[in-house]
Amino acid sequence: MAVDLPKRAYSGAIREIVVGKGDKSFCVGGETAYPFYTFEGKIPNPPKFGLDILDIEPEGWAGALLEVYGDSVKNPVTWAKKCVELGADMVQLTLQGTDPNDKNLGADHAVLVAKQVSEAIDVPLAIWGTANAEKDVEVLRPIAEELSDRRLLIGPVIEENHKQLGAACLAYKHVAIASSPIDINLAKQLNVLLSNLGVTDENILIDPTVGGLGYGLEYTYSVMERARMAALTQQDDKLQFPIYCNLGIEVWKTKEAKLPDSEMNLGEHKQRGVLMEAITTSSLLASGADILIVRHPDTMKLGKQLVAEMLAG
Amino acid sequence: MFRIIAENINVMYKTIGTAMKERNKEPIQEMAEKLVANGADLLDINLGPARKGGEELMAWVVETVHAVCSKPLYLDTSNVAAIEAGLKVHKESAGKAVINSISARPERMDKLWPLAAKYNAGAVALVLGVDGIPRDAAERAANAAMLMAAAADAGVSPEDVWIDPIVIPVNSQQQQVGYCTEFIGMLPEMAPGYSSTCGLSNVSNGSPEKLRPLLNQCYLMMLKHVGLTSAILDGLDREILGIARGERADLEKLIGDTMDGNPPDMSSLNEEQVSFVKTTNMIMGKTLYSDSWLDL
Repeated sequence: MAVDLPKRAYSGAIREIVVGKGDKSFCVGGETAYPFYTFEGKIPNPPKFGLDILDIEPEGWAGALLEVYGDSVKNPVTWAKKCVELGADMVQLTLQGTDPNDKNLGADHAVLVAKQVSEAIDVPLAIWGTANAEKDVEVLRPIAEELSDRRLLIGPVIEENHKQLGAACLAYKHVAIASSPIDINLAKQLNVLLSNLGVTDENILIDPTVGGLGYGLEYTYSVMERARMAALTQQDDKLQFPIYCNLGIEVWKTKEAKLPDSEMNLGEHKQRGVLMEAITTSSLLASGADILIVRHPDTMKLGKQLVAEMLAG
Repeated sequence: MFRIIAENINVMYKTIGTAMKERNKEPIQEMAEKLVANGADLLDINLGPARKGGEELMAWVVETVHAVCSKPLYLDTSNVAAIEAGLKVHKESAGKAVINSISARPERMDKLWPLAAKYNAGAVALVLGVDGIPRDAAERAANAAMLMAAAADAGVSPEDVWIDPIVIPVNSQQQQVGYCTEFIGMLPEMAPGYSSTCGLSNVSNGSPEKLRPLLNQCYLMMLKHVGLTSAILDGLDREILGIARGERADLEKLIGDTMDGNPPDMSSLNEEQVSFVKTTNMIMGKTLYSDSWLDL
């Protein structure tokens, strides 16, 4: 006898957001069902993967990462090209060098690197600050202006600087990555504030703030899960945005991902970090991630394979 | 009849705290008289932890207050000896004193319910359990059942057991507020004849200051609708006192209808009514909390 499986009735949909410009631009979002629930609704745009590069040569990075990128890490332009060669859907340029608690490089440096990277690649580009409210305004605003034709993703836009960065996205037609500290209510509130400012619905992504595996992943998971429930079943239009997960930085800063075999007896270091990043990736995919920024290309391969298989049904 | 417990005689408030420290009766008595004039049925005497000299202080405050009014007092401190000192001097003619509070933890229950019985007093039965704040309505009910059983064993009668559901801030734990409401709704069947009470203003803790009164007022009416029999309130806030006394039947009906699945036609409502319906829906969890819930 045929069994009729119960189906959930969804009342909302995630908005479709265009990322980047030109041939390599893509759409994310558009879901009308929970992640990979293709039997209940549509998942028109598969989740996309970006690789994360820095504006300066990385210090203290895991051997597994340095090995795969080789000398390219000495120059953000070659590094970005390498990422595209490796199959990244997009690149995130993290402005590590502008961190006031580190090298504290200025806007001139940031604009120059962003411009060079942007000119060197045709895939979409995200520019990520250091989550220092004031410094990010100082460096991200001129980048937004300089690259006004690129439809960049700009983040993290946080409550403290949402007016300045939101206005910059609005004025120069970029997408704002609205970032809140693993809190569903604050995520919603920031989107309300951005809307009030005039940032339109097709220009917002949600960054729930990611905790890596063993470092708060389950909290991020719950927040994303609840955001999707509110968006899809409660018609909460302030949460009907695609979700951007900047996870590579979180995974690879942990000692479990970084330490060489001689200092950590938890399996071979080359695999250890990738597997931690891959588990984080698959968990975030299962809870609604639309864009995932990782650091190791093997994680990206595993993630893409998982997405393809899940959507093949 | 819904009873009002005024929260204002509290060591944390500057004038009162100083008066307690200096054993200056006047500000405390003035406050007590004002609260009674405003319609308080009981007065909460909150000494905080009162580790040092708590006994002497509690006895002094109880006598000070009872010199100007004849209302029963909530004796609110974690210092058990101070509570007993208060019970000893609490005027019989004022009615029954209430221990605030007894949680569902064996060491608290074993000590405090017999104390309530010994002095013919009541107590707030706080559903806080061994594992901390209960995770849902069922856990609240389980803890309440334990407290009720322990109270009965000690010989405290049901109406003297004031069940407190633990109100949680809606801005950070919206679901928990739903469980709290659900639990209060279970009490008429689960605990008929028992009293209930709550620290209402915690629901708005952390929300924008200007919206706190709306949240407090709305949640009070919601809890009244499901059967709450008393609340600890700001005894100087005329609006919330009016609501406690049932002076806003119009809003109570609107909120009750919204909760019972008969939502009003929003276009027929005035601005105040819309705010209360929106807030009710938000507290019920129909819409996710954000500080801007009224603007959406």
